[in-house]
Amino acid sequence: MINRTLTPELNEIDQIDFIKPSIFDISSSVKLYSMCEVPNQTSRLDLYFNAGTILGDIGTASFVNSLLLSGTNTKTSIEINNEMDSLGAFFESSVSNENALVSIYALKENMLAVLSILKDAIENVAFLEHEVIELVNDRKQKFRIGMEKVSYLAQRSFQQKLFNHPIYGRIAEESDFENVSISTLKRFHKDNYLHGLTKVVLIGAFSTDEIDEVIDMTGNWAMDALPTFDEKCQNEPSKTHVNKEQAVQTAIRVGRMLFNKKDPDFIDFQILNTILGDYFGSRLMTNIREDKGYTYGIGTMVAELTEMGYFLVATEVGSDKKDATLHEIQFEFNRLQTELVSEDELQLVKNYMLGQLLKSADGPYAMMDLFLHVEPFNIGLEYYNQCIESINKITPERIKELAIKYLNWDKMTIVTAG
Amino acid sequence: MIHFERYILKNGLTLLFHKDTTTPLAVVNTLFDVGARDESEEKTGFAHLFEHLMFGGSVNIPDFDAPLQMAGGESNAFTSNDITNYYDVLPKTNIETALWLESDRMLSLAFTDKSLEVQRNVVIEEFKQRYLNQPYGDVWLELRPLAYTKHPYKWATIGKEIKHIEEAKMEDVKAFFKKHYCPANAILCIAGNFEFEEIKALVEKWYGDIPAGIKPARILDAEPIQEEYREKTIERAVPTDAFYYAFKMPERRNELYYIADLLSDALGRDKSARLYVSLKKEQQLTAEIGAYITGSMDDGLLIISGKLNEGVSFEQLDSALWKELESFKQAEISEAELKRMMNKLRTSREFEEQGLLNRAMNLCHFELLGDANGINEEHQIYEAIQPSHIQETAMHILKKTNCSLLKVKAISNDK
Repeated sequence: MINRTLTPELNEIDQIDFIKPSIFDISSSVKLYSMCEVPNQTSRLDLYFNAGTILGDIGTASFVNSLLLSGTNTKTSIEINNEMDSLGAFFESSVSNENALVSIYALKENMLAVLSILKDAIENVAFLEHEVIELVNDRKQKFRIGMEKVSYLAQRSFQQKLFNHPIYGRIAEESDFENVSISTLKRFHKDNYLHGLTKVVLIGAFSTDEIDEVIDMTGNWAMDALPTFDEKCQNEPSKTHVNKEQAVQTAIRVGRMLFNKKDPDFIDFQILNTILGDYFGSRLMTNIREDKGYTYGIGTMVAELTEMGYFLVATEVGSDKKDATLHEIQFEFNRLQTELVSEDELQLVKNYMLGQLLKSADGPYAMMDLFLHVEPFNIGLEYYNQCIESINKITPERIKELAIKYLNWDKMTIVTAG
Repeated sequence: MIHFERYILKNGLTLLFHKDTTTPLAVVNTLFDVGARDESEEKTGFAHLFEHLMFGGSVNIPDFDAPLQMAGGESNAFTSNDITNYYDVLPKTNIETALWLESDRMLSLAFTDKSLEVQRNVVIEEFKQRYLNQPYGDVWLELRPLAYTKHPYKWATIGKEIKHIEEAKMEDVKAFFKKHYCPANAILCIAGNFEFEEIKALVEKWYGDIPAGIKPARILDAEPIQEEYREKTIERAVPTDAFYYAFKMPERRNELYYIADLLSDALGRDKSARLYVSLKKEQQLTAEIGAYITGSMDDGLLIISGKLNEGVSFEQLDSALWKELESFKQAEISEAELKRMMNKLRTSREFEEQGLLNRAMNLCHFELLGDANGINEEHQIYEAIQPSHIQETAMHILKKTNCSLLKVKAISNDK
């Protein structure tokens, strides 16, 4: 019989290989990043545009993004979708504050054919009236459904108070959908897509000739100079409740403006963030879910923009547990500020984070995504070696110091909805 | 081609091994052949509650997650109406930690009162978060008992009602473990850069002495053939009317299952599918519409669901939908339409097979169906499907007497 009470011996992760993508010039400022070491037939193409929600009137960026395949003067949206589907391709598009992203997932053999359909669709999109009206109606419906969700209500209010800024903090109302004008959409499209390409990402076993074709097809959209983002936001420390009748749960958001990878405290703060709320065994999960059973889940994160970042705690709890949960979140902040993390807990978090880093570097898709997480900040992959070094050498004292510096309850924007 | 080896331990545990030399990670996936369909009608939601308890410490190890995290790994699980699946992903050099933890919880649990009490609350919050506090969240709680009258698919994995979870007792938990969590009822798949002999030896070391137990016989109430159209309307404080047409379709092991899968793709997988083009784009009746299958082991459902546009009535939608389904049954789909669906399937499969965890999970799933090698044969079944097969299946499935319709009528939230 084996002794099951003894833990098997552990091996440490000493090294992770980070593989850099190949870089090609589309223009003097716009690059194509390519990862060719793909052992199968899959491929992905990402096109980044300077067409985020901070540009234009409220709603415009998101409408244009959703209408990219809505038809040209010679092809209907049905025909475009049919052509792309016939090549087995999956299309995705999304907008964030500072970017718009268009992605294609397809087999490598079909990617160039899909791109040529996509290029025609985006270049010649006609913003046909019936397509715009259909989208406005769909959006209104989605908006009304969203307004029935406590998580959505909390997120909206949180975004306002967190960014506390006329552009970054603005949120759409249903009436905004009424005011969409086709000429505004057309102008935004021309300015920010046809002259707005900022980056191309290609994953798949493509030859140099094929990469050149991608460059040729996308080159005329490239921006002359990449955009800069200068705004800095300061959150409004406050406590807000959004009422929602008959909700059986309350959504909670607690957070503040912080920094991104450019800040020297960023990596160490990530370790603190993990301890507090970013893994299954975190302080908040252990306390609020596994000890008290107030919630199905609670988590923390640091989100990044080009020149800023923010820290966030998010959860949904039983309606009668709102105050108790806020109390426990504050309690966990205080505990990190006043007590040193034990060596055991810190060792566990170190090992866990190194394991996660190993996983994030596994395979060409994961590797490219790691690269894309540092590229916007003009940081290279050596960042991840710094992470390994910082994780290995961080001390309980340093964690406490960062908690005192950044987890001050009075600096937090607190929103509840329920 | 996904290669694998198989080895069956004396206690009945099936081991599958999949070698991948390109990754520094290992996956340990354990499928237990138990799901919500194995519950009794008076104690539903139990398979899923039990999944939560599997993380509450085992007989020799007080905490499951912490040692795995210490080894750089992480773990999660899911329960469906058919199966319960647990997985660990960790650096390959620490694989033994996962085997130590997984084998100990297969041997026996700690069964602490605290764990039961807390996980009952956690699951109740999960019930609220996913099913009660979301617009349209309770649709499956209503649709299942409409579509199924006898078979245990008539309740959802989360359970029929919160009360069943509140009433779960320690003796139920222990009995459930004893009956379903034995080696003979499990399929273990290990994937990573290892040698098969090395894995066999490790698995023998950690799992070999777990008592065999008896694989429980599964005798479920068969669902009688549906012979009448069913319809139910519920009123909810949601912004928009929504519809769910549920058609009975063949069980997972039936060849017709694959044809029904393609049928659902043709009707509503993507933006070039029949219903999307006709009812949304051309007739402007719906804001959303799609079709999919539940993929269940026993008789499943093909679902057509969506949301109405403002000003459109359920009756308008109903007549337009049936007209579209009738015309679909009248003529075979074109070769081009079939090819489009096959191309989409192929892309999805290639992407899915990229992930080590997906491969390990799918191998276990196919082994449960009868043979893990099914993972390599499935595409041949799809490729043999002709337009005439889809038409025949459509005629068989898409008829009123085989349909249960749930309508969610939007009413104002104001009192």
